[in-house]
Amino acid sequence: MAKQDIAIDVENMTKAFKVFYDKPSTLKERLVFWNKKKSESRKVLDSINLKIKKGETVALIGTNGSGKSTLLKLMTKIIYPTKGKITTHGKLTSLLELGAGFHPDFTGRENIYFNASIFGLTRKEIDRRIDDIIAFSELEDFIDSPVRTYSSGMYMRLAFSVAINVDAEILLIDEILAVGDQHFQDKCFAKLQELKDSDKTIVIVSHALESIKQLCNRAIWIYDGKVNMDGNVDEVVEQYIKVCG
Amino acid sequence: MISMFKNLYQYRELLKSNVKKEIRGKYKGSFLGILWSFVNPLLQVLVYAIVFPIILKSPEPNYVVFLIIGILPWTWFTTSLSQGTFTILGNAGIIKKVYFPREILPISVVTSGLINFLISCLIIFAFLIFSGIGFSGYLIYLPLVILAQYIITLGIVFITSAINVYIRDAEYIINFIVNMLFYATPILYSPDVFAGTKFSAIIKFNPLATIINSYRDILYHQTLPDLKMLALVLITGLVILLIGIQVFRKLERRFAEEV
Repeated sequence: MAKQDIAIDVENMTKAFKVFYDKPSTLKERLVFWNKKKSESRKVLDSINLKIKKGETVALIGTNGSGKSTLLKLMTKIIYPTKGKITTHGKLTSLLELGAGFHPDFTGRENIYFNASIFGLTRKEIDRRIDDIIAFSELEDFIDSPVRTYSSGMYMRLAFSVAINVDAEILLIDEILAVGDQHFQDKCFAKLQELKDSDKTIVIVSHALESIKQLCNRAIWIYDGKVNMDGNVDEVVEQYIKVCG
Repeated sequence: MISMFKNLYQYRELLKSNVKKEIRGKYKGSFLGILWSFVNPLLQVLVYAIVFPIILKSPEPNYVVFLIIGILPWTWFTTSLSQGTFTILGNAGIIKKVYFPREILPISVVTSGLINFLISCLIIFAFLIFSGIGFSGYLIYLPLVILAQYIITLGIVFITSAINVYIRDAEYIINFIVNMLFYATPILYSPDVFAGTKFSAIIKFNPLATIINSYRDILYHQTLPDLKMLALVLITGLVILLIGIQVFRKLERRFAEEV
């Protein structure tokens, strides 16, 4: 595989968290309990090797606590691997949680600017997209009121609209396919289809196996910190249901 | 290091809107709003202006102006330090959820402090006019002093903000140090108070003392500031900043796990 075809390259990567039973966070606790080693290292991901090609739509599946979300966080560089390497090529946006950094007192429009700037967009780039974002969210009538007056569904719609319109080459999505009402969910799904067809690389963590089958062409089954199965989405999902269902 | 600057440039819009949020968001919901950032230090000046002439028998002429020139830069330093120390923990929500260059958080705290200070310079200028002191040509050195203070504050905040994630009571220790530093810096008094005593070294080795003295020289005494000392402070500031960036970059890798 030529190097320029690869969007995400995970090489022999291990991630271990220190698990504290009683975590010392103040100086007093550190001094008084200095000899109490109440922590152990827990391997969440163990020597993972993955290559995700540009334009692929990949699903990460697995039971709770298997390390899917951790892998996604490592890809976005929110956390760093303990061992090994992870490299990404191209502009990357992650939708781990919607509306991160929304300020309740600011208006919808102001929050679009702030949220989009968190994704690394410049003023000009946001100016160009703002109409699309507002139109996609269908919140034209509320866009200049503070977001604390929004319902939780409206809040999510605004957040999703920003993230989906950032125009990244790599999109990482964690369990957020269920946003808003049925109408909006369908719209999000259609948008994801469109992004997929426009040659973006998408990695989705989800338990909605039916949607995954429609959207993705490849699935990676993570079990206990290791890649259990990697291949065609239908085969992997079928096997996964057989074992875990 | 170069990649860090490239990254920061890419995220310049976030830096801008974060500075705005820092300035506007802080007092949102309060009646006087952003005015508080200026009313607060002025009230402090009022207290000292009433109390100190009673304690010190012969304070400086125009003691209020003397005080304001000391207290407004000091306010910039302390608010940046206390907000900056808390900024990583305070933004735990976005740090856990989104990637962005973490350096933006301390930078925007110190920069919003700078903008506040630049606006409050208008208050200083007003006092200079109404007290009859006026301005001198040495004003051209003012940006240099402001730059020195910005660099040194940013360097310290890089270190304290990162450490506070791992040792939560750093905040309280820093508050104590700042309290001591307030009296070890010639803000309420003139530096010649210590001349010839063993405390004069405190003034000499305290970079903030040099900075406050330089503000006073330029604005109050209307003389040339001690350029040699100022250059030394500038170099010290750059060294602290470089160390600060290194410390921050080392510690930031586990921010999302620790906050």
